[in-house]
Amino acid sequence: MADVDIVIEICGSAGDGTISSGEILSRFMSSQGFEIMSFDSYPSEIRGFGKCVAHSRISNKKVLSPGKYTDILIALNNAHAISQLHTLRETGIVIFDNKPPNYLEEDQSIAGWIEPGMISYGIPLLNLSQKASGSARGRNMVALGALAAIFGIDGEQMKSAIHARYAKKNKVVIDSNINSFAEGFTWAQQHVTKVDSYTFGHSKPKPSKEKKAIINGNQAVAQAAIDSGLHLYAGYPITPATKIMEIVSRELPKKGGVMVQTEDEISAIGHVIGAGYAGKRAMTATSGPGFCLMSELANLAVMAEVPAVLVNSQRGGPSTGLPTRNEQSDLNIALFGGSGDSPRIVLAPTSVNECYTCTTLAFYLAEKYQTLVIILLDFFLSNSIRNITTPVPPKANQLNSNVAPTKTALKDYKRYKLTKNGISPRAIPGTPGGMCISTGLEHSEHGHPRYDRNTHPAMTEKRFNKIQGALSEAPKPRWVGPKKNVDIGVIAWGSTAGSAHEAVLNARKEGINVAFMSTVILSPFPVKEIKKFSEACSRILVPELNYTGQFANVLSPHLSRSIERLNMVTGLPISAEDILEKIRDMAR
Amino acid sequence: MDILKNSYLDEELEAVKKQGFLDYRTSQLPTWCPGCGYFGITHAIVQTCNDLQLKKEEVCVVSGIGCAGRYPIFMDVYGFHTVHGRSLPIAAGIKLSREELTVFAVAGDGDALGIGGGHLPHTIRRNVDITLFLFDNSIYGLTKGQTSPTTPLNQATNSHLKGNPDTPLKPVSLALAYGASFVARCYAGDVDGMKDVFRQAITHKGFSFIHIVTPCVTFDKTNITWGRLNGTVEPIEPVHDQTSFESALRLAEIPRLITGIFYQDKKRPSYMEIIRETQS
Amino acid sequence: MPKKDHYVIIGNGPAGNSAADAFRANDKDARVTIISDEAFSFFYRHKLPQFVAGNIGEDDLKVRPYSVYKEQNIRLRLGQCVDRIDPEEKILYLRHMEKVGYTKLVIATGGSPRILPSLTSFEKHLRFMTGYNNAIKLMPEIQKAKTITILGGDLISFELVKALRTMKKKIFFIFYSKCFWPVELTGNMSAKICANMKKKNIEAYADDTVETLTEKGNLYTLKTASGRTFKSDLVCCFLGLVPNIGYIIGSGIDTERGVLVNEFMQTNYKDIYACGDCAQIYDPKLKDYWISIGWSNAGLQGKIAAMNLLGSSKVVKPLPKSIRDVVGIKIQTSWWDHF
Ligand SMILES: Cc1cc2nc3c(=O)[nH]c(=O)nc-3n(C[C@H](O)[C@H](O)[C@H](O)COP(=O)(O)OP(=O)(O)OC[C@H]3O[C@@H](n4cnc5c(N)ncnc54)[C@H](O)[C@@H]3O)c2cc1C
Ligand code: SF4
Repeated sequence: MADVDIVIEICGSAGDGTISSGEILSRFMSSQGFEIMSFDSYPSEIRGFGKCVAHSRISNKKVLSPGKYTDILIALNNAHAISQLHTLRETGIVIFDNKPPNYLEEDQSIAGWIEPGMISYGIPLLNLSQKASGSARGRNMVALGALAAIFGIDGEQMKSAIHARYAKKNKVVIDSNINSFAEGFTWAQQHVTKVDSYTFGHSKPKPSKEKKAIINGNQAVAQAAIDSGLHLYAGYPITPATKIMEIVSRELPKKGGVMVQTEDEISAIGHVIGAGYAGKRAMTATSGPGFCLMSELANLAVMAEVPAVLVNSQRGGPSTGLPTRNEQSDLNIALFGGSGDSPRIVLAPTSVNECYTCTTLAFYLAEKYQTLVIILLDFFLSNSIRNITTPVPPKANQLNSNVAPTKTALKDYKRYKLTKNGISPRAIPGTPGGMCISTGLEHSEHGHPRYDRNTHPAMTEKRFNKIQGALSEAPKPRWVGPKKNVDIGVIAWGSTAGSAHEAVLNARKEGINVAFMSTVILSPFPVKEIKKFSEACSRILVPELNYTGQFANVLSPHLSRSIERLNMVTGLPISAEDILEKIRDMAR
Repeated sequence: MDILKNSYLDEELEAVKKQGFLDYRTSQLPTWCPGCGYFGITHAIVQTCNDLQLKKEEVCVVSGIGCAGRYPIFMDVYGFHTVHGRSLPIAAGIKLSREELTVFAVAGDGDALGIGGGHLPHTIRRNVDITLFLFDNSIYGLTKGQTSPTTPLNQATNSHLKGNPDTPLKPVSLALAYGASFVARCYAGDVDGMKDVFRQAITHKGFSFIHIVTPCVTFDKTNITWGRLNGTVEPIEPVHDQTSFESALRLAEIPRLITGIFYQDKKRPSYMEIIRETQS
Repeated sequence: MPKKDHYVIIGNGPAGNSAADAFRANDKDARVTIISDEAFSFFYRHKLPQFVAGNIGEDDLKVRPYSVYKEQNIRLRLGQCVDRIDPEEKILYLRHMEKVGYTKLVIATGGSPRILPSLTSFEKHLRFMTGYNNAIKLMPEIQKAKTITILGGDLISFELVKALRTMKKKIFFIFYSKCFWPVELTGNMSAKICANMKKKNIEAYADDTVETLTEKGNLYTLKTASGRTFKSDLVCCFLGLVPNIGYIIGSGIDTERGVLVNEFMQTNYKDIYACGDCAQIYDPKLKDYWISIGWSNAGLQGKIAAMNLLGSSKVVKPLPKSIRDVVGIKIQTSWWDHF
């Protein structure tokens, strides 16, 4: 079977049906058994003007990163598509509307910007849409039809997929979409002379039997939270985390839970801490600016030892920053943000799959270790859509991880009892005999405020030691490649890990002696494994999406060696190509 | 110690113990200044709990920071002493998770109206079934005498030696304007009046707002003092219609120490009732 | 600030490219744009037969890499067809519905395949090979075909026959001495060709007209006036080129068989010049128009056209001895002579 690995971008204006056609394409290709990774970007501004891009990498191999270059660009809007042309591969293809109602002024047509070596297929999108549906709204479907015809996608099957997508709508909507698709398909079959070699047709992989879920990181987090027994979600709208709230708000009340859209992020984490204190599982999700507001209460969860799950989907910062762009620059605040010595558990999934598993783990850990667990996503991970094997919901024993006090312990109940592993059995309100005071002041084992010279050191140590247990319950760092005598070791975290992994695999194909490691648990830090990896490598490279190399800075004291860095703050996900280029540079 | 044994005091204590309310107290001695109005309020709260026969393990008291913030330490219930200004969201989070619990939020004027002022209208409009005890002494006590959101205009404080330039908020009017379903005012010197209001507030299904005027004997020697307030209390006339928002507002705007229940809407569903009805 | 000059060249062949180079060499600031309806880069047209036969690769076709244009700041608009010229407004109308303005224009659109009137009714069954696009389409068909009929002729048809022989195909070659291109075959040339071809196992026939051409199940049956029947998998037609001017007719620019230009390559509009295979050039000495054919002629003319547009007054000189008369058109056949 020939390899298929094609990146398609649909680019239009808000209202062109860009995102929905991208979704149809991704879902359909997934149903055909392809691996997909999609990523939509849309303006943070109001509807009507902004540029929307539905990016989708479709492959019959494992997809680790979104792909830096586009192979096929579908232009639903000239101006936006022109501004997107820089991502098109040198030999890429553009599908565009070659029959707009009027002549465009010089340089306003995407067709005029096609670089030599690129290929453009003009399709009368508007005309065909009008013919099929009586309006311009079917242009996206006409384009999909043409795409299918030119690149060997089964038109009939895709038609049924479109039908399924709009099944809940009325017949007019269904028909106009289907007819538009069919018009585009037939027209392209009859009029387009194919001069490129991209195709899906000859290598259709067998549809896999296992059930696939097509979800993005936000959906995975929301689903995992609900599967983990979420009772209360509190949040304030903020890009790119808002979607989590929207999903939870639909699903949670059905299960007897509560979604509170709070007045601000402070209130959101307050509600979460309240619920956690009351013995229920609760979560909030936010992004950098909201995370800053939460930091005081986040520290209360640490000090008063109350479970709290906090998702921070990072975007460009500081301040309002770049709300719809990608960055990994909240690592510092996640690890260290807040006053005092404030140990917390930090998990950073590297894939949509791990968005699910990290979230279920987060609830388990938060409850067991009675502390703040931060899940670090980023704009890309939140919005990147993968078809993943339907995740396995947590088992019953993971759904209740609170360590409750024994009857004898309740006789003289010490809420903050100093124990070997640091976990003090927790009585939940309603438990007779467990009445006590929980407080953000430094406190004795009974919870009474104490400022003496012995209590604070003992309690501080307890809080730090306590979370160490989480290390053995989190996934071990992933090590790809040889175990010794490695020239270059790449260590990555978060959404950058996928690209780094792909880059390492490709570099190995080129004969470069390189290995890869990633870790989802960032606090407590898996020093042992990373040290071992480091010792096996002559040089260490850390690629990440922030200016100062926040992760590299965390690593370097542990490894006590110099670390080479690839820091990017373009607002885009780091690509496998960028990292590969750096690896090649180092290997030269 | 032996001298005290079997003394008159012991007998008194036994008698008081029999009344039951002491069960709601911890062994911790309050750290408030002698003469502080908070003693009276505490007394009224534990007595009300006793009167209502609330199970101790089903009572949660959430406080913020300030002299009032220490309050949960002295009550033998589930106490949560949190951070400055955030008692309301946390109390709401508790109630929305465990409806069987009776949840109190305790906050000073700086806590509830200053740093945490943003949470008040929203907790009110959600009508979460909790009771807010607003200990209003019109001063920042714990930090030693700075201006608070209810410090009268021109009163000299440690942060405004030449007098407070900021117009004070009117807590009862504010709560009414925000649409609270239960609004009352009490005076810390009137234990019976407080008990009466507290009982109704706690049993009210929805958000109860209790404004408690209480002197800070240490940092306010001129304005809200026992001396000036004792005897000025005006209980609300029985003719007042507690279901009338307009009358309540009119009453609230009178700048005297009027106490009692200004407004109560018994029909309005609480947040959990609304959620259950509309969201699932 | 006055708007920058925009020199536009229609056509990405030797004529167009040398015009663009000349513009850039003499004016560093102006915008220089080449527009061509072929998406493929500037390539050696005469290597197409070897390419189609699979003897050379795509890269061997290319004259120069894209980077040259980038370095020279010449904008290449490839795969973009000019539908109409408005010489009054100085606007080109492109097929994909974009207007492009110019200050000076060079028309270098070469030729398109010539079809004899007698063949027009069978046009849909015929295969041509004038550019990259039809070559790439033809390639797999040629690979598959066992038997190929070639209607000749021109020099290209000879080239293709040569190439196909290396692929061991069965070939029928029917050619027309009267309309051979660019010059008529005279005397015993036809007989000689037939004999030479026979020696190389190619069935060649001179001057037999096609009566019918039918297709059934991808098999083409061709019947001739003399009663011969040829069955083959493909029928290719090579009868030379005619100037590519269809899109100009009606624009106000004078045309006849080609774009009419004077000895300075200028059309009836002062800012529009034409050169290469598409031009029909006046020669004051001949007192007649002639059409130029061939790679190097085109290149030379492109340069002259550009220079003249920039103010020189260079004259194209046909070499009278290589000017021949083909079906009423005078043609400069330096290519033919060098062949
Ligand atoms: C198969 C073959 C073999 C040949 N062999 C030889 C040989 O051996 N020796 C030799 O000297 N000559 C040979 N020739 C002829 C030679 O290639 C031409 O004479 C020469 O290419 C003419 O150059 P030109 O620049 O005038 O036009 P061309 O090279 O034909 O270029 C014309 C350009 O104009 C473009 N164009 C046309 N119409 C439009 C439009 N409306 N809008 C936009 N663009 C347009 C075309 O896409 C093309 O890029 C051969 C030709 C062919 C086809
Ligand atoms: S400072 Fe004032 S409010 Fe605080 S305890 Fe003392 S008297 Fe009471």
